[in-house]
Amino acid sequence: MDGTVLPAIDVDHLQVSYGSQQVLHGVSLSIASGEFVAILGSSGCGKTTLLRTIAGFQKASGGSIRLSGRDVVNVPPEKRGMAMMFQSYALWPHMTVLGNVGYGLRLRGVPREEIRARVASVLKMLNLSGLENRKVTALSGGQRQRVALGRALAIEPQILLLDEPLSNLDAKVRIQLRSEIKSLQNQLGFTALHVTHDREEAMTMADRIVVMEAGRIAQVGTPKEVYDQPASPFVASFMGAENTISLDVTPAGSGVQIRADDGSMASCIDSVPIGAVTAYFRDDVASLEDPAARIDGSIILPGRITQRTYPGGYYRYVVAIGDRHFSVTDDRYHELDRPVGLRLPVASLHLFPTEQTKGGLHA
Amino acid sequence: MIGALFLYPLGYSLATAFTDPGSGFLSLVHFEKAYELYSTDIAFTLFIVIVSTLLTALISIIIAGILTLSETPWLVTALRNLYRWPLFIPFIVAAQCMRTFLAKNGLMNNSLVGLGLMEPLQATSFLDWRGIIITFVWKQVPFVTLMLAGAMASIDRATIEAGRNLGASRLRVLIELVLPQVAQTLLVGLVLSFVTMLSVLSVPMMVAGSQPTMLTVDMAFRINSYGDYGTANALGVISYLIAGTVAWIYLRHNMKREAQA
Repeated sequence: MDGTVLPAIDVDHLQVSYGSQQVLHGVSLSIASGEFVAILGSSGCGKTTLLRTIAGFQKASGGSIRLSGRDVVNVPPEKRGMAMMFQSYALWPHMTVLGNVGYGLRLRGVPREEIRARVASVLKMLNLSGLENRKVTALSGGQRQRVALGRALAIEPQILLLDEPLSNLDAKVRIQLRSEIKSLQNQLGFTALHVTHDREEAMTMADRIVVMEAGRIAQVGTPKEVYDQPASPFVASFMGAENTISLDVTPAGSGVQIRADDGSMASCIDSVPIGAVTAYFRDDVASLEDPAARIDGSIILPGRITQRTYPGGYYRYVVAIGDRHFSVTDDRYHELDRPVGLRLPVASLHLFPTEQTKGGLHA
Repeated sequence: MIGALFLYPLGYSLATAFTDPGSGFLSLVHFEKAYELYSTDIAFTLFIVIVSTLLTALISIIIAGILTLSETPWLVTALRNLYRWPLFIPFIVAAQCMRTFLAKNGLMNNSLVGLGLMEPLQATSFLDWRGIIITFVWKQVPFVTLMLAGAMASIDRATIEAGRNLGASRLRVLIELVLPQVAQTLLVGLVLSFVTMLSVLSVPMMVAGSQPTMLTVDMAFRINSYGDYGTANALGVISYLIAGTVAWIYLRHNMKREAQA
């Protein structure tokens, strides 16, 4: 041993195909022990395939998967020693809660009395005490997924795989379970790999986020990095920056000058791509000002409010500028059809050369 | 229509079975005769049908299990294409095939001798109770497998994966996780097979000798040779009681499940 700590999961150039269709195009990812990583992506991007290949349910057509240094590409799922939670809970309906949670221990030849004791302590941890002899079909959705979590944790796994386990639950239970899973992970120290299409879920639970696009990794980083500094138009748009506008960037003195089609401009000293760019921005970075206002470091685009909704806490407006529509949130109340200036702080815009954004996939 | 075509003949047969032909009074005389002459055949029938049902269950579980859990694509494709064929072959044709296949100089023994696996002198005919069981199982396995594989395909695949993920081998997944979820379907298939096998005449008549034989052959013999409807009907009632017992087990199981649900 050279003393270096091996990653809990190390995926190297992993390729997976369904028949002639390649789904994963050489994915490489390293996850440290005790880390919580979320794989985020839209439907069909290959995130579930990646998880299922790591679990052993899908065969890899190339590359390697090492768990703490052990190559498991050709190891059947039952010998990989991981636990998994499924979207459909996947509880065994013919068994009681005790039977479900204790099954992994039974497979490991743990004596019956010890299984009872260990299941009781797992259920206590999950606030399910006393439900040992209840049929799982008689439980609510949230309770079922807690039982599934208990079943996975009862074998004290090093690695927990989560395949969208919260997406079938109602909003309140989902938020509650998010924090329960996260705090159990902190407490028990297992490595977690969580597949989800829910951005907020990934942001709140994970130490690192992996954004996938069309069978490739688009960006890996902390939630803040991925949110604030998206590496590509796809990531920007997936992380909520769904408003786009074409701008022109020209060098000016020590910085650059950014100009919109209607002539409004702002200067900036950050390093941004030169030439025709597309700016991506979230509705909360833009704000509504007077159309004639001039603010340093911001572009003000004159437009008209066409729609107003109140989702709670703030208003959401749709502003028409020419034939384009932008979504903006603002705390203040504005009348419909009122001329306004859409303020875009240049520092908060994600700028990508227009060439790069052409033909790109948007979430 | 039901009354005329089903209930009347059934009631009439039942009445004949319990009537003394001399006095016309209620009597068990036909049952005494049936028991005296055919008690061995009743036991033989029960033995054949129970063993065939158990073997059918075992083989169907194996085939449906392979179709559901195997990771060898060619095996799954081959089995999927082959296993249904006997479904479309009538019992009498199956019996005819088995006569040529299982005879002393039949295809099976000739092949075994040809492969050098058996000496010609060791060859024996399987045209006895073994032949009946083989024919019944050959004919009923596809039916039960069809139901079972369908039920297995419709259970949540994740319940299988959850088991393997926790460390269960495919055999344990089949026995402990898949079978309990499709037990109801298996039971229905087996009950239907049991009743079917109990009522087949051609197979025991063609495949095996006359002693001992199954109740269907005895009933046909009483009617065709002696015109003895009374004893034949008594044997029919006994068959019905056997089938009824199985149906009762099934219904009881069903009610228990419903009560639990």
